[in-house]
Amino acid sequence: MRRAADPLLALALVGAALASLLTGSVALTPLEVGTALVGGGEDTARVVVLSLRLPRLGLALLVGASLALAGAALQSLLANPLADPFLLGISGGGAAAATLAVVALPAVLLGLVPLAGMGGAALATGLVWWLARGPLGASSTRLILAGVAVNAAASAVILLVLAFASGSRLPGALAVTMGSLAGASAARAWWLLPYTLGAAAVLLHHGRDLGLLGTGEESAAGLGVDVPAVRRRVFLAAAALCGGAVAFAGVIGFVGLVTPHLCRLVWGQAPRRLLVRSAVLGAALTAAGDTLARRLVPGAELPVGVITALLGVPFFVALLRRSA
Amino acid sequence: MTALSARGLCGGYGARRVVGPVDVDIAAGSCTAVLGPNGAGKSTLLRLLAGILRPSAGMVELLGRDIAAMRRREVACLVGFVPQALALAFPLTVHEMVSQGRTPRLGPWRPAGLADEAAVEAAMRDLGLGAHRDTPVHTLSGGERQLVLLARALAGEPRLLLLDEPATGLDVRHQLQLVDTVRRLVERGVGAAIVLHDWNLACRLADTALVLHGGTIAASGPPHEVLSPDLVARVFGVAVERVLTPGGLLLAPRHAVAGWLDAPPAPGGGRACR
Repeated sequence: MRRAADPLLALALVGAALASLLTGSVALTPLEVGTALVGGGEDTARVVVLSLRLPRLGLALLVGASLALAGAALQSLLANPLADPFLLGISGGGAAAATLAVVALPAVLLGLVPLAGMGGAALATGLVWWLARGPLGASSTRLILAGVAVNAAASAVILLVLAFASGSRLPGALAVTMGSLAGASAARAWWLLPYTLGAAAVLLHHGRDLGLLGTGEESAAGLGVDVPAVRRRVFLAAAALCGGAVAFAGVIGFVGLVTPHLCRLVWGQAPRRLLVRSAVLGAALTAAGDTLARRLVPGAELPVGVITALLGVPFFVALLRRSA
Repeated sequence: MTALSARGLCGGYGARRVVGPVDVDIAAGSCTAVLGPNGAGKSTLLRLLAGILRPSAGMVELLGRDIAAMRRREVACLVGFVPQALALAFPLTVHEMVSQGRTPRLGPWRPAGLADEAAVEAAMRDLGLGAHRDTPVHTLSGGERQLVLLARALAGEPRLLLLDEPATGLDVRHQLQLVDTVRRLVERGVGAAIVLHDWNLACRLADTALVLHGGTIAASGPPHEVLSPDLVARVFGVAVERVLTPGGLLLAPRHAVAGWLDAPPAPGGGRACR
């Protein structure tokens, strides 16, 4: 199964991307989409494909890859299968700040919502790190406990903001809490790209260290890992990835938690390959989820986080039962 | 040649001093058994010697170099450290785990080559793990996991082995296999320090016994000389009898010494860490 799985993964990514490009309120044939992608065809088709669908696909791929990478890295870093950006309060912090910005900012400043989301994620990361610091540094257990506390506080802030949100701002605020790629644009995707690549490079550089940390901190230190330095860098890189994802797409659950487990179940534990495969699968899942979110109910768009969960859970359960 | 030398070494956790001051020398091609009752500071001493725990005072020299000035990877290329506890957050096969022992030599990017794979296979073969190559480590018994950890340390081809209670959970056959493996490495010039609770295993395996009590060294020297009934009663709180058997001198425990726990030693044995 492992040998056949890599081409299948590539196929899933290509399939999800094609489906995303072919889906939308304007009916376009595959030929029209293809022609528009290379700059030809009618103006309407070109605008729809190049200005709307392609940026949305790009953002979906980046967000999905970011969440899955962050999840895979955090699970290994903390030697905890349940660790993900949500458990550690990073997504919660970003979502709380973005929700607050959607509700409180004047209409002309709503373009700053992603910045607020990233700022919130950064603030939550700093707070979690500060709370987790003990006499021996920030231990894994303390990081998780601090994350749970920050997450609870962020949830309370989000509920409070939603309770006081005016009618016109409520849908925007809800979109942040439930995840949506409706606000995608080429500028946003280009802005997120170097940011994602930079953080991903940090994680890939520490791929082997992460594999060793999955066997415990003392064990990893004995094999040459500078545990405090690696913990700091990986945590910050994962927080940056997650902060970027939340800032541009709101809270998309499940991808960060389950994608790495799916990859582990299919391909095993090879640490750097796990990161790469998680990123690819996370990107494919999010793109597919976004496509379905646009198609399932005609005239309406479902929260993409709900779709990613509905897509991934059956696969995950099936694989879990098989491996047992 | 001295593989490792520590002078005035002190360390602990936060403000709590657990070890020190102690002086330790481990010669290349010799094995030192680190003995002591629970809480004596054996594991902490090993972490300090491996450079995993930063000392509060004193220094450790590894093959003549100050360990504090070395990068963690450099240290790990020379020292095979086997921790007492292992977190198994994700299921690794025996081969995957033993292969981790090569990581310090590979660095972040270099792919494993034929020499790396040969070292991994040799380590698994030495410890009789060949048949378990693709077995998930979490399905093995506690004793077998200890062997996997030891194989992981051996795969790195270290110059010094620091083993924290590797015999815990091993049946007699595997204990003997452990003794043979460590002795074979020691004869090849590897230095070893090994935390043990079994005095007789220490006598069989080690050239030197280092007995810790209250974080300081209560005695050190050849195991049969050091482990006198007086010292065992004072440090371990156990009355023992030396029994001469065809296999050698054995320490046979008789009974616990009454009132031993009422007089714990002063931290650091009263000496200051500088």
